[in-house]
Amino acid sequence: MKKSRLVALLSALMILAAMVVVVGCGSSDDDSSSGGSGDFQSELITDGTLTVGSDIPYAPFEMGKAPDYTGFDIELVNDIAKRLDLDVKIQDTAFDTIFTDVAQGKFDMVASASTITPEREQVVNFSDPYYESEQALFVPPGSDITSVEDLAGKTVAAQDGTTGEAYANDETDAGQVRGFPTGAAAIASVVNGQADAGIVDAPVVEDAASKGQSGFEIATNIPTGEYYGFAFAKNTPELLKAVNGALADLIDDGTYEKLFRKYFNATPPKSITSGTAAEDTGTTDEG
Amino acid sequence: MGDFFDIFFNFQFMADHFDVVFQGFLVTLKLSAVGGALALVWGLILAVLRQVPGKWLAPVRWLVIAYIDCLRGLPLLLVIMLLYSGLATLATQGLIPRDIGIPQWFGQPDPFWYGVMALTLTYGAYMAEVYRAGIEAVPRGQTEAARSLGMSHGQAMRFIIVPQAVRKVIPPLLNDFIALMKDTALVSVIGLVEAVQAGRDLYSEFYNPSGFTLGAFMFLIVTIPLARFVDRLIKNQNEKFQRGLP
Amino acid sequence: MSQTVEMPEVARGETILRVHNLKKSYDKLEVLRDIDLDIKKGEVICVLGPSGSGKSTMLRCLNLLELPTGGTIELKGDVVFEGDKPKNLDDLRRETGMVFQSFNLFPNMTAKGNVSIAQIRVRGRKKDDADQRSIDELTKVGLAEKVDEYPDRLSGGQQQRVAIARALAMDPEIMLFDEVTSALDPELVKGVLDVMRELADSGMTMICVTHEIGFAREVADRVIFMDGGYIVEQGPPAEVLGDPKEERTQKFLGLVLDH
Repeated sequence: MKKSRLVALLSALMILAAMVVVVGCGSSDDDSSSGGSGDFQSELITDGTLTVGSDIPYAPFEMGKAPDYTGFDIELVNDIAKRLDLDVKIQDTAFDTIFTDVAQGKFDMVASASTITPEREQVVNFSDPYYESEQALFVPPGSDITSVEDLAGKTVAAQDGTTGEAYANDETDAGQVRGFPTGAAAIASVVNGQADAGIVDAPVVEDAASKGQSGFEIATNIPTGEYYGFAFAKNTPELLKAVNGALADLIDDGTYEKLFRKYFNATPPKSITSGTAAEDTGTTDEG
Repeated sequence: MGDFFDIFFNFQFMADHFDVVFQGFLVTLKLSAVGGALALVWGLILAVLRQVPGKWLAPVRWLVIAYIDCLRGLPLLLVIMLLYSGLATLATQGLIPRDIGIPQWFGQPDPFWYGVMALTLTYGAYMAEVYRAGIEAVPRGQTEAARSLGMSHGQAMRFIIVPQAVRKVIPPLLNDFIALMKDTALVSVIGLVEAVQAGRDLYSEFYNPSGFTLGAFMFLIVTIPLARFVDRLIKNQNEKFQRGLP
Repeated sequence: MSQTVEMPEVARGETILRVHNLKKSYDKLEVLRDIDLDIKKGEVICVLGPSGSGKSTMLRCLNLLELPTGGTIELKGDVVFEGDKPKNLDDLRRETGMVFQSFNLFPNMTAKGNVSIAQIRVRGRKKDDADQRSIDELTKVGLAEKVDEYPDRLSGGQQQRVAIARALAMDPEIMLFDEVTSALDPELVKGVLDVMRELADSGMTMICVTHEIGFAREVADRVIFMDGGYIVEQGPPAEVLGDPKEERTQKFLGLVLDH
């Protein structure tokens, strides 16, 4: 290729790349909507569709194969979308970038067993809590680790970017914390004997145990008092309000209890159904 | 556009978290050095075995060819995952000693060694083909002279052919090494924190991607001079070739 | 490397290498057809012929660089090749030395290194002994001041002389020369031919495939003319070169002598 043509081609490519970057940066700024009462439609990426980011699989919250994903989060999302008269598009994505992704407008919301934390709230807004959770400390069978204190100097597995990983780093004396891209990989490394213990969301660990995953046992639950919420970009307040409304509705009319029993075989906690959790986490104020 | 620079080139952030990324990059360098050195050696062994003469040793040649085909045809990421779960499973089932299934040699954690193994096995295959091209490029007359003097195949290879071949293929081998160094990032999927994962951890904790940019600078400080060095080597070789020297 | 089997000593003038019914084919192409040759110790034989006559192939069969497809080769009375299998490759290679048209010096070693390597690795000599021998051989071919130079610093004639020294250092009984001056600039040819002449005078058994008719006439004990894979005519140079009996020989010499 002649030199001048090569220069022209390279310049064109660079301009194209720059344009993509600018447009990418720009879009999260010009999502319309300043006020507008209840007009969340304009805040959506795609008209009439609720685009949802989720790290799949993470049973029992999200699992299955596209396009028929299932799980507690997914069914809640489907129900909420129906109430808002929207189609649903689920996007499988990595968990440790999921909050910045939604903040940048890659999806409308995140439904991924996400704990509401003050750090995350600097980047996203959360819906009212829809699940109360804690961490599970799990170990290989026959391990002599029975509590968090026993983790001193040990190798602990967790999933990248989760509250379990943060707990292992900040609240234990673990010798080494190993982050994995998925929760399943963290569990597998304990099963394989490569990590001495793991800290992952309790419902996920319990679900794996109940489905016959062997090679590990739960040493103890760590009552962290976490609440899961759906995450939104800061500039989609109307969408957040609308989803909160739909969530409240489905709690009131018993849909929530039905789904909860289906996946967890237990009565839903009062903190969710009576709304006290929402007050605790103060999310309702930021709606 | 100013925001873009604040986000991706946040020098304050880079300074505050320099150590985290740097520690990760040290892991990258360690992985590259150990994996790269072993791959260079393993590749040469494979290339020589591929050439062993004689009817009786045909199975050896076939095995080596099959190995090279497989390892060149598998994604490195897959090899990493297979080693990671496979070796540990063999250990827990008692088929291999635990010390080998979950290697913790010299104080490095097992993901490091799985990474080294995967890099060695995979890049060894690529380098074997590079060595082979070098060996085949050595003129036949060299082998003929060696054999005429009474040297065996092994002696001819060891003293005459391989030294010449290796000299010829240093540039493509170095290129493979640079590729290997970049591929060390893949070992993050089994829990090893190297430069890219360090950036990712910072990103997920602080929502600031400048850790990635810092990691990128660290890579370029090593890879760009290496690439320039390879270019210069190639230029020197070509000049010698033009002058008609061996 | 097999143990050195002491081969019987052959006196000057007795047969040292015998070739019988030698054939060589590449797939369907017959390059050598039925060669019979009886080489005596101390004999200097020059092999002439047009390209494609099979002369180089025959030479390369003598040290089994090429594997014949039929016939026998006997070295000092012992069969070293029969049918299609070498029976004693090591002994044959030990007793023969070959010098090539393209020199084939090892570029990763100095002149001295080139001459020493096989002495050390094949003959098992100690490095110091081998190096001293190398210096002696290089001096004999007139390259005493070049012993530490790498091949890329030597002229073609000098490289070829190193190649000769390299082969001689292994104390072969028979030296094989494969068109060793054909790749040299004319002014360098004489230097190499002089070395070969001295070697012949010292009693070495030599078989030279060559185009140097003058050399053949002056130095050879026997001249062999080959064509089409056969030995067409052979005999003392005065006869074959001065008064060839076969028409093909006459034609070839008519073509070649006028230069």
